Amino acid sequence: MSAIIEASGLGKQYRRTWALRDCTLAIPEGHVVGLVGPNGAGKTTLLRLATGMLTPTRGTITVLGQRPAAGPAQLARVGFVAQDTAVYARLTVADHLRLGAWLNPGWDDDLAHRRIAQLALDLKQRAGSLSGGQRAQLALTLALAKRPDLLVLDEPVAALDPLARREFLQGLMEAVAEHEVSVVLSSHLVADLERVCDYMIVLVGSRVRVAGEVGELLAAHRRLSGPRRDPGSLPAAQEVITESHTDKQTALLIRTDEPVLDPAWAVTPVSLEDLVLAYMSRADDETPTRRQHLGIVS
Amino acid sequence: MIRLSLLQFRIQAITAAAALAAFAILLAATGPHLASVYAADGLDNCHGSSCLSPATYFTGSLVNSPYMVLFLLSTGIILLAPAVIGLFWGAPLIGRELETGTAALAWNQSVTRTRWLAVKLAIGGLTAMAVTEALSLLQTWWAVPISQAVADGSGAGVAQSRFSQLNFASHGITPIGYAAFAFALGVTAGALIRRTVPAMAVTLAIFAALQVAMPLWVRPNLAPPERTVIPVTSLAAGPSQTGPGGDVFTLYALDIPGQPGAWLLSSGPVNAAGQATSASPAACASVGTRPGGGPQGNAFGPGQGPAAFVGCLARHGIREAITYQPASRYWRFQATETAIYLALALALAGYCFRRLRQLS
Repeated sequence: MSAIIEASGLGKQYRRTWALRDCTLAIPEGHVVGLVGPNGAGKTTLLRLATGMLTPTRGTITVLGQRPAAGPAQLARVGFVAQDTAVYARLTVADHLRLGAWLNPGWDDDLAHRRIAQLALDLKQRAGSLSGGQRAQLALTLALAKRPDLLVLDEPVAALDPLARREFLQGLMEAVAEHEVSVVLSSHLVADLERVCDYMIVLVGSRVRVAGEVGELLAAHRRLSGPRRDPGSLPAAQEVITESHTDKQTALLIRTDEPVLDPAWAVTPVSLEDLVLAYMSRADDETPTRRQHLGIVS
Repeated sequence: MIRLSLLQFRIQAITAAAALAAFAILLAATGPHLASVYAADGLDNCHGSSCLSPATYFTGSLVNSPYMVLFLLSTGIILLAPAVIGLFWGAPLIGRELETGTAALAWNQSVTRTRWLAVKLAIGGLTAMAVTEALSLLQTWWAVPISQAVADGSGAGVAQSRFSQLNFASHGITPIGYAAFAFALGVTAGALIRRTVPAMAVTLAIFAALQVAMPLWVRPNLAPPERTVIPVTSLAAGPSQTGPGGDVFTLYALDIPGQPGAWLLSSGPVNAAGQATSASPAACASVGTRPGGGPQGNAFGPGQGPAAFVGCLARHGIREAITYQPASRYWRFQATETAIYLALALALAGYCFRRLRQLS
């Protein structure tokens, strides 16, 4: 399986602050990848680096085996819907479709017009007077109709109301099913991604905390609760992600590839949201090994 | 990409076409009458020195006439056109894309940013140059009687020589250079500032500063000036001013003998040895002083007055040293200045390409 996005030691610095640092990841193709993390984690920076809108300060990033935005052929293979789903306010919906047809050799005019018809958008309407949801849909239509191999969406639903949000994601999923396009989609809300993603990357403080297929991630994590004990006494194969203690009880979220055999623990599966939140709430300097004598964190 | 650029450029193009048409109609409606006045003053069939008097009369008659207003207005429009283009075509070209976020849309189609910018710069830049030069050519055609009369006459009147800032910057090929430069300047400011309105302000400030600096400090030195020393008797004496040693006449060179249409850069009195000297030697002070020391209005006594003052200077070996650029250098200067502005425009465009490739 080849990687659609491969980053190594990737970093982007603005004056003194790093928007993204030491980011190393390989995203396999054929997935709908959720990129989740708190605001300011570096999601937008990573996606803008992946589309060539930014150039890295350090490290390298390749998309579909090439430098992002390396040339017309590379650009044709990647579709991008930016955070604000900006469209040309003065141009009409039809103008936007024309623009897509002019600028993309692989343009699928049927697909574009079918989607616009489905969305009941008026071709003669100026894009500036569309609602936020309609604008996002128009931007998605443009990105889809160029028939990319990879579709990158940066918080496309952040500004939408719940109904528009659902419609947008539904449209996205239909397109993915129809055209076998890999998708990378960012959001700061797990709930948005849970429905659509089968691969998850948690980015916190400009670093990748965890990445993997959703099924595998869920299978590899357990919530343990039982009498109070020192997490340091757990078997080496059990990595503690978060821990919380009361006087008598200890609750842990651990990562392990083996069954939990200790009968003292009540073992329950974790939800994707719990899992993501657990990684997001882990302290910045956390090493994968266990930490001790720290207060209640989770 | 060309079709998209044209689609996005249509409003600017319509505006420019409308402005150009209005300008053309205004000049076409008044030009023939101006030419008929010129002919009626006997200027279309005079030769050599016989033109001097009618030409001077013609230029003098235009002062305070609607033609003077038209001449200054049209010249002003030509001088302002590059700035307007830089502000409204240049600054938003990249600036608005970055400001509104549509850059993410534009640069994620299957067209590289280099090509995107190349097409946009070519369409905008060439139109800017064509429109500005068209304005200039229209006005040059309209003003042929005026410029001919200025060349033939004694110089004073509605317009000055071809080298004056108003004429030099609005005629010939310099408008092409200004338009290209102002456009590229606007584009660069937009790319750097990423906001349209501040980029417009910066564009205007830099362009205006350069248009002031160029004629004052750069243009006179585009070629080493010629120097000549002429007798003071060929100078005109202006009104007197009361100085400490008596009244002093302001002497000024209207034109340089044998150098019609030359661009006078500096002039000042020199003594017999060729060194710069005072314009009011003590020996001549009494000649310039009115009886009673009174200001204007008091009659000069016998042997006094401007002519006597000039004669006194001449007797004391004082002559006038003049530096100038000969009229024959006009097109060389036009070409050099245009080349400078075009080179600046190309440098800015090159910077924009680099900037766009490595956007941060």
